[in-house]
Amino acid sequence: MSVIWLRVAAAFYSLGLLHAILMLVRRREHLFQVALGAFGIGAVFHFVSIVEEGIRGNHCPITNFYETLSMCAFLVVVLYLFIHWRYRLESLSIFIFPMVFVMSLVATLGNPVAAWSSPVVRSVWLIVHIVLVLLGIAALLLSAVGSVVYLFQERELKTKKPRKFYYRLPALGTLDDLISKSMALGFVLMTLAVVAGSTWAFIEHKTAWIGQPQIAMSFFTWGIYLAMVCLRVTAGWRGRKAAIMTVTVLGFSALTWAAHARLGAMLLKP
Amino acid sequence: MKLLTTGVSHKTAPVEVRECLAFREETLAAALRDLKSREGVTEAVILSTCNRVEITVTTEDDCDAQAVVDAFLTEQKAVSPEGIAPHLYRHEGRDAIHHLFRVSASLDSMVVGEPQILGQIKTAYTAAKNCGALCGWLEGLYTRAFNVAKRVRSETGVGQMAVSVSYAAVELARKIFGSLNNRTIMIVGAGKMSELAARHLRRSGASHVFVTNRTHERATEMAQLFQGTPVEYTRFLSMLPEVDIVITSSGAPHYILHKDEMQRVIAVRRNKPMFLIDIAVPRNIEPAVNEIDNIFLYDIDDLQEVVNANLRERMKEAEHAEALVAEEVERTMARMKVAEVAPVIVGLQEQLEQIRAAELDKVRRRYGPFTPQQEEAMEALTHGIVNKIAHGPITVLRHQAGQPDGSQAIAAIRKAFHLQD
Repeated sequence: MSVIWLRVAAAFYSLGLLHAILMLVRRREHLFQVALGAFGIGAVFHFVSIVEEGIRGNHCPITNFYETLSMCAFLVVVLYLFIHWRYRLESLSIFIFPMVFVMSLVATLGNPVAAWSSPVVRSVWLIVHIVLVLLGIAALLLSAVGSVVYLFQERELKTKKPRKFYYRLPALGTLDDLISKSMALGFVLMTLAVVAGSTWAFIEHKTAWIGQPQIAMSFFTWGIYLAMVCLRVTAGWRGRKAAIMTVTVLGFSALTWAAHARLGAMLLKP
Repeated sequence: MKLLTTGVSHKTAPVEVRECLAFREETLAAALRDLKSREGVTEAVILSTCNRVEITVTTEDDCDAQAVVDAFLTEQKAVSPEGIAPHLYRHEGRDAIHHLFRVSASLDSMVVGEPQILGQIKTAYTAAKNCGALCGWLEGLYTRAFNVAKRVRSETGVGQMAVSVSYAAVELARKIFGSLNNRTIMIVGAGKMSELAARHLRRSGASHVFVTNRTHERATEMAQLFQGTPVEYTRFLSMLPEVDIVITSSGAPHYILHKDEMQRVIAVRRNKPMFLIDIAVPRNIEPAVNEIDNIFLYDIDDLQEVVNANLRERMKEAEHAEALVAEEVERTMARMKVAEVAPVIVGLQEQLEQIRAAELDKVRRRYGPFTPQQEEAMEALTHGIVNKIAHGPITVLRHQAGQPDGSQAIAAIRKAFHLQD
């Protein structure tokens, strides 16, 4: 029963993710109050689920990975709500909201559900996941190329001796805009891909999926992508730091892709 | 028809000669009417700017255009032909077209690519048109020249790079921020130079100007110029995180902005880029500030260096522009030649058609009436014969149009077919 409350909580947290996405893409914060409210309500359900799990098992619910993750997510929520109440740090929500959502989503996947309703759903789901990842990587690649071009133009402007690049390359402001937009788009696509991919793996492998290294790798890559987006939006990381970070995330994405090389074979499996 | 351009420019004549020949705006219309009324002159344009005076005329074939223009100049300007002869350049026909295109495209200007010359030529064109001195072929040529100038501007970068220090500042700001819309400017020290730079930036879209000065009254005065806000000198440092562009030109004998201060400013700005323009001598901003990420500091020498680089780049672009102008001259010449033979071809076709129609009528009167089938057959037969006969001379005409001695062949065909002029 407790998993249902957790799922309800995750559903409320998803509004937080939506807020973060809108803020990245549109750079407006009008959904924040709604998302914060949903975050609070989600926290209540989350608390109910943890208490129920504790009563059912008659122990503190931190005995397995999923329970611990749920507890951890809950503590992050409480901590964030406290920080927000005390310091009004709205910008932190970009980082916290998606993270809590993904953590609680993963935590709900601890209870196995029935197998695939049909093989078509199974493969379509997987195709959606792969397409989302590829689109995400394409956007990330665009942002990495933009970052490198930014570095060249920045150097031209810093050295104050205009050469070919200065005349041929676009303005820093234009590049910055391109990088921000493609990075935000890439992040949205990657997040959706992570959600699609983890639920797929969960149904496919029951509870054993979380232990697989390529899945840990995916979450890690998504995590540093999230950190990069957050640093860009809140601390305004530009130029060299941002370029290094974008290229790093791109590198990890490539590694994750390589780790998933077996996925193609799985698609062929009936 | 003959085309002749006679003139002096900054390249051929010193200012003493140019000022003698210059036409003032008030006297231009009278001068144009005088020139147009001279024998043989069909159209005329006078271009008079501070860097060049040019007289372009089209005359009838048998007219000595050079003599007409010389007489006009000596009468209008009270100069001796011998005195100005070494400074004059003359271009005829194709060369004159080439010259006009180059001048319009600003390739012959003192600062290559400067945009004013096109406006000046347009003014000269309008003046000539208004007093009836431009009413035919030359008018078309000028319209063509405007198009060539437009093409050169859009297809080459000859007019794109800033060649003055204050424009270079605007251009750099654009390279940093992309668009200048909603960017704010802070002027530290109200001087002429910073005022000029701020004016350019404001015109390019910058939204607000803050002005600060040691004497607050001066700051208030200058702020009014830009509908900006004066800021107390003691407070300006705390305002810096809100501004994108800072122009300093204060007379302070030491640095007024230091690296550590700017580091704090950029942190508060969350690394949003800043452009600092230091046009004061001695400098107002510590040069080490340029080492901070996302801050771009340019002093007066740096701006001059950008201007020099831009000039070099313009010269490179000018080479592309020259090729483009040459291509346009070719195209215009080809068009002119086709236009020259077009009336002859039409005349020839009309002539043959008249003969055909008259002969058909004769046959009808003598042997008619005919059945529709017979009429059709006769029409087809006569058309066929006439077309075959016309084909040879028309091909020769089209071919000869482009040749140097083509006019003889064209005259021979006119004569052979009894075509009138």
